[in-house]
Amino acid sequence: MSTPAYPQPAVTSTNRPLIEGWQRGELMLQHCEDCKQVIFFPRHNCPHCWSTKLAWQRSKGQGTIVSFARVYKHVSEPFGAEAPTILAEIDLTDGVGMMARVITSDVASIASGMRVELVPMPEAARYPLPTFQPAK
Amino acid sequence: MLSKNVGIIGYGSAAYDKKPRQTIFGYLGEAAAAALRSAGITKEEVNGISVDATNLAPDTAVTTAEYFGMSVSWAYKSTAAGAGPLISVSNAVRAVEAGQADYVLCVGGGAQDVAAFKRRIAQFTSAIQDYLVPHGYGGPPGLFGIIQRKHMELYGTTREQFGRIAVDLRANARLNDAALLRGPMSLDDYLHAPLIADPLRLYDCVMPCSGAEAVVIGPLDRVPRGKGVRVLSARERHNHPVGEVAPVRGGWELFRDELFEEAGYAHKDMDFVQLYDDFPIMAAIQLEDLGFCKKGEIGAFLDGHRLTHDGSFPLNTGGGQLSCGQAGGSAGLIGLVEATRQLRGEGERRQVRDAQRGVVSGFGMISYGHGLSTSAVILEKA
Repeated sequence: MSTPAYPQPAVTSTNRPLIEGWQRGELMLQHCEDCKQVIFFPRHNCPHCWSTKLAWQRSKGQGTIVSFARVYKHVSEPFGAEAPTILAEIDLTDGVGMMARVITSDVASIASGMRVELVPMPEAARYPLPTFQPAK
Repeated sequence: MLSKNVGIIGYGSAAYDKKPRQTIFGYLGEAAAAALRSAGITKEEVNGISVDATNLAPDTAVTTAEYFGMSVSWAYKSTAAGAGPLISVSNAVRAVEAGQADYVLCVGGGAQDVAAFKRRIAQFTSAIQDYLVPHGYGGPPGLFGIIQRKHMELYGTTREQFGRIAVDLRANARLNDAALLRGPMSLDDYLHAPLIADPLRLYDCVMPCSGAEAVVIGPLDRVPRGKGVRVLSARERHNHPVGEVAPVRGGWELFRDELFEEAGYAHKDMDFVQLYDDFPIMAAIQLEDLGFCKKGEIGAFLDGHRLTHDGSFPLNTGGGQLSCGQAGGSAGLIGLVEATRQLRGEGERRQVRDAQRGVVSGFGMISYGHGLSTSAVILEKA
């Protein structure tokens, strides 16, 4: 199956480990060595204490859906053809929240409080950013 | 009080369109000319300008002055999207108070077709472009669907309750010939409209359009008694709560006590409220955060009120963005212009009886899971 032409994030010196990590199917997160906070989205400075000592660590890639929308109308292609898609707020076990797509063949089954995990390789390679699915 | 002697002395709107019939400068010029006529002043007297338009680049407030042939001693362009115009206006009041300008034109607008709107939304901030769009960000409805679901699950708020906002605002719009959406809407229409970003359906979502709004700031004694509007207090807050994704609050709750205290009035003294209603959920959150009810209790509040111009709680008396449309930078100004119209007694068929004062609030600068900017002003007939 060919991979749809999803919009891609700009790769910068700041977010390169996130983007390249996901090409291996891994979620990489920044940890501040000074204030110990976990950071998303990637920054050059810690948004909590402005430290520049930020270390990349591999996440377990597990979390819980806090809330979500089933998106029927899209502003960018190729999502229109895949609608409805799930856009969710996910509370990661690493201690930070993020927004991400959740892949499912049954959009009606998605619910707040549901546990999610990363889509594994090789399917992960289809998606431009760390993407989740209901935990098995 | 922000200023005793300087305030809003004129207002004007461009005619709105579903498809643009002219460039953004066409719309800005139409609203500006109407505002100067309403104030009874000439273009030569205006020596300050503020512009609110999120798609003006590469143009600026100064090149807007160039376009309109104005020589100005004060020029300002907002950075806060839908919360920006109220900040522009309060800064213009301060600028006139400080002698930096005599009369300031504050104008906001946009000209956008559907393709331009989608492009603008997908590139709204770098965080959206890099970390939301690749996930299938459906534009603002994707985000506000998440926020509304959270509010419903945390507090038990229902779609029927949010629907009260859309339905009553449409009733207001039916008395406003300038509103683009004036057809009748029942609660049943609202509940069963096509899905956009479940739980949001069509009538939860503002319609992008083209248009402009403007006000003139200057000495209140320039206009007859009853035709000026005093800005009693103004506040803004950006990026609160820091780092939180999909918050069910926005920042108004941090400044609402100061806002009312400085104005010298309580909530019960407000004759109307004009909120930034891009989505009913955000209008609901504004009412909670501004203190009209407690956090999480908006459902019961909406059950207990009619929001029409002649109802128990007049809200967005011209129909708001939900029925007039969102014309880019005009969206944060449409509530202020409607408030001015009401306080001058020019509300025609939708006039709030004996309107003396009211609250206007702004919201915008959507970025990573969060509308970052909030603002509010309290106004009084001068």
